[in-house]
Amino acid sequence: MREEDQDAADVARVVAGDLSAFEGIVRRWQRRLVNMAWRFCRDRATAEDMAQEVFLKTFRSLASFRRESAFSTWLISIAVNTYRSRLRAEGKPLLSLDPIRLFAVEPDPLHGIEERQRAEAVRRAVLNLPERYRDAILMYYFEEKDLGEAARVLGVVEGTLKARLYRGRELLRRRCANMGLRPAGVPMEET
Amino acid sequence: MTPDDLDRILSSEDLLEPSSDFTMDVMARVRLQAAEPSPLRFPWFRVVTGLAASCVMAAAGAVLLLRSGPALTATVAPLAQLAAVTPELGYATAALLVSLALASLPRLLFRP
Repeated sequence: MREEDQDAADVARVVAGDLSAFEGIVRRWQRRLVNMAWRFCRDRATAEDMAQEVFLKTFRSLASFRRESAFSTWLISIAVNTYRSRLRAEGKPLLSLDPIRLFAVEPDPLHGIEERQRAEAVRRAVLNLPERYRDAILMYYFEEKDLGEAARVLGVVEGTLKARLYRGRELLRRRCANMGLRPAGVPMEET
Repeated sequence: MTPDDLDRILSSEDLLEPSSDFTMDVMARVRLQAAEPSPLRFPWFRVVTGLAASCVMAAAGAVLLLRSGPALTATVAPLAQLAAVTPELGYATAALLVSLALASLPRLLFRP
C-alpha cells in the first residue's frame, strides 16, 4: 500500500473513533516533522516539542480534513503555521552567529569540523532573516527544491516564492559575508 | 560566499532521529485529549431564540401602545399627577432619612 493510501485509511479509522490508527500516522510522519521543526529552531528538545504540538493539532482537526489537498500538504501546512506561531510567540531562537565562536580562525587541521561549523552558522543565519524569506528558504530546501510543493505549503504562488527565494538568498549571502564566513578552504587573510 | 556555496550548504542537512519514546509520548497525549470532555459550546440557539422573542415582544408592545390611543392617555393620567408632586416626595424622603440618621447617632456614639 502506498504511503498516501495508508494515511487516508488511517485518517478514516481515526475519524471513525479508532484512536490506535493515529499511531500509524505518527510513526510515518514523526521523522519528517521533527526534522522540519529542527530547521526552524536548531534545538532537538524544542523540535520534538513543536512536532508533538503539530500531531496534537492534527488529531484535533482530523474531522475537518476535507481531502481537497493531499494529506501530506495539509499536515505540513499545519506544521509550518505551528512552527511560525511558536517562533513569533517565543521570539527568534538565541543562537550564536559569532564567527569567532563558530569558526576556527586559525587554519584547522580537521577541515571537516570547520566546514560543518560553517554550514551550521549559515543555517542559523537563515533563522535571523525576515519571516517571509526565512520560511521560503526553509521550506524550499526542506521540500528538496520542489518549488510547487513548497509554494502550496506556504500558500503562495510559485512566482512569489521564487522572488522571496532570490531576495532571501541575496540577503543571506550579504549577511554571511558581513559575518566573515568564507568558502571552504579559503584562509581568513584572503577574504 | 557564492550562491552555489549557499545552495550546497542549505541542501545538505543532517537528519535528526526522533527520540525512541517520541511516538509513545504523542499517543499518550492524544489519548489524554480524546478522554477529555469536549469543550462547552457557545449557546447560539438559546441566544438567537431569546433575541427573537425579545424582538417579537417589543414589536407587539409598540403595536398595542399605538392601537390603545385614548385609553393610554387615561392610563397614564395618574402618573402625571404623581409627577407633579415628585419634588415634594423627594424632599420628604430625604428629611425622613436624615432624621433616622440623626436619631441613630446617640446609639453609635455612646455604645457600651
